[in-house]
Amino acid sequence: MSAWHRFGNPSRVRSALVGIAAASLSTGLAVTVHPAPALGAVAIYLLGVVGAATLGGAAAGVVASLLSFLSLNYFFTFPRYTFRVASADDIVSLCVFLIVAVIVGSLVSRALAEGARAARSEREARLLSYFATKVMSGHALGRVLDDFTGSLLEALGLARCEIHARAGEDVLDARRVREGVAEGGAITIPIRVGSEEVGAITAVPPFSAGGLLEEDRRLLEQSAKQVAIALERAGLDAQVVRARTEVEINQARAALFSSVTHDLRTPLASIKAAVTTLLQEDVTLDEEPRRELLTTVLEETDRLNRLLGNLLDLAKVRAGALVPAKEPTAVDEVVESVLHRMADRLAAVRVRTLLRDAPEVPVDPVQLDQVVTNLLENAIRFSPAGGEVVISVAPWQGAVQLRITDQGPGIVPEERERVFQAFYRGDAKERSGSGLGLAIARAIVLAHGGRIRIEGAPSGGTAVVLELPLADAAPLPQETAS
Amino acid sequence: MTKILVVDDEPQIRRALRTSLEAHGYEVRTAANGTEAIEAAADASPDLMLLDLGLPDIDGRSVIERIRGFSEVPVIVVSVRDLQADKVAALDAGADDYVTKPFAMEELLARLRATLRRSHPEDPAPPVRRVGDLEIDLSRRLVTLGAERIHLTKTEWGLLEALVTNPGKLLTHQWLLRRVWGPGYAEESHYLRVYVRALRRKLGDAAAAPRLILTEPGVGYRWIAEDP
Repeated sequence: MSAWHRFGNPSRVRSALVGIAAASLSTGLAVTVHPAPALGAVAIYLLGVVGAATLGGAAAGVVASLLSFLSLNYFFTFPRYTFRVASADDIVSLCVFLIVAVIVGSLVSRALAEGARAARSEREARLLSYFATKVMSGHALGRVLDDFTGSLLEALGLARCEIHARAGEDVLDARRVREGVAEGGAITIPIRVGSEEVGAITAVPPFSAGGLLEEDRRLLEQSAKQVAIALERAGLDAQVVRARTEVEINQARAALFSSVTHDLRTPLASIKAAVTTLLQEDVTLDEEPRRELLTTVLEETDRLNRLLGNLLDLAKVRAGALVPAKEPTAVDEVVESVLHRMADRLAAVRVRTLLRDAPEVPVDPVQLDQVVTNLLENAIRFSPAGGEVVISVAPWQGAVQLRITDQGPGIVPEERERVFQAFYRGDAKERSGSGLGLAIARAIVLAHGGRIRIEGAPSGGTAVVLELPLADAAPLPQETAS
Repeated sequence: MTKILVVDDEPQIRRALRTSLEAHGYEVRTAANGTEAIEAAADASPDLMLLDLGLPDIDGRSVIERIRGFSEVPVIVVSVRDLQADKVAALDAGADDYVTKPFAMEELLARLRATLRRSHPEDPAPPVRRVGDLEIDLSRRLVTLGAERIHLTKTEWGLLEALVTNPGKLLTHQWLLRRVWGPGYAEESHYLRVYVRALRRKLGDAAAAPRLILTEPGVGYRWIAEDP
């Protein structure tokens, strides 16, 4: 390695080698063929010079020209096999050859370099316009940067390319490496947004390329500007998203607040209206209206109590106070016990169970019982009279899947995520529920590392799908439709 | 018999209201949503309507607007919504009064009677109203407190007249401003505050313990003096 360095720049070494090789090949060919007039040998040497200039550039052409000049002198001018030249004509010829060879070599190499430069500019322009489209594409920043590194690696023939950048709180790193290529000296171009340095592009050419050209450097600088634009854009996008999220959260809060107000005050209104009527002294109520009013009070008290219970459950789960006491539990057993307890209410529908032999899962059986109860209550509430409710339990990809399908009106795909929000009621006409059942169910399922979602049932109804991971499985990601 | 239309989507509240109102000698008809309410208002020609705002099909406010297209039936809104904005919107849409849930039956019945009285005056209202030692002569535009004659500006008189001729009714800022100042002043509620304060001082009424003018914060004013 150090010997190479002492020798000089690898590209100069390469030029010299190409020049020597071309001259040697020409000599070999000319000596073997040994054309009668020396003119033939001149043509062969000129061809060698052109070849050297094409492959190794102007320097190689010059090296080949000089060596060809010496070889012609040695092998083809009288007296042969000496560097002496007998005839004055031959001296002139040799000098003319040397001049022509150098000129031809440099012309060839310059023409080739021009062509290469044009091709290169075109490629650069294409690359930059590609970057610009990427920047405007709105793709995730990480993906855009990864794309940039890959493109730069290809376009500049680099051994390694890295982009390192800060976008707000995030630090992004993109890195591409060409395997098995010895690395030359790295250059680093800073990425600036305004006056702030927010990252850098590091480009490492292969050792054999002998450094990057000035054009390459310019291309990297242009790329750094594009990355800066991409970063700026991502920053603005993030701000917009943050602002929008905040608005949505505030709206959701206001909606939640008004729902709680409505749901708590409505039963209170019935109770107070009934009680204040009973307490009035200016009218005497008959037995029947008295009983009706008292029944109203009783029913509405129960309703309030249920609602408060649900609200407290939700608050507990959300506050993390309802820590699941997990134990190996057979989901089908929990389902059967809930079915038994709810038998009276389930009489309104036809229940079909498909309980396959599923492995036990680590869950809190009491909490799972509540989830299943909530889901079945919904299924009953939305089922038409005599509609079929199908409950299936089966092992499914490292989890146990519970699926409850009804023949109710179904939930349109846009609503399927929203029904898990507290107090959200898919159908405004259906007010009998608290609007909390699914919110509680999801909170509990998440606390168990499981997931729950709504699917459309082939029958047109709703399928609630719940998955609980097995003991040694990782928590399931809860996908949420955006 | 006075016919009351009760509009609420909660069966329990409909039942409680029906029982109570029937016990007080009213004839009751119920509707569970806005469409039924509009139909009933047209077919049954009720004398008064108790309307919940949060109906499943049409918002209560739109129900009022649509009923106002063909009927002047008095409407009392009965709702859990207790924001000023909701009250003002309902009153501006044409409701006569607003009662917040939960309510005591006595209060609802009192509002109901006051509203019915306004819409069906048994006798033409007497030109002279007396409240304690305050006497208001509407035909001669004279106000006396005890033996003393009280001088009111033109605007103060306009305001007093608007209140006195709508006893018990919740009058919104906007309605009062339009009526007394004119259509261009609907947003100038600070004028109203200044004049109500002046009127209270001259009539010997206090905002903290009102006998005459009750402030409904953010919504409007109500003339609460009981007629003899």
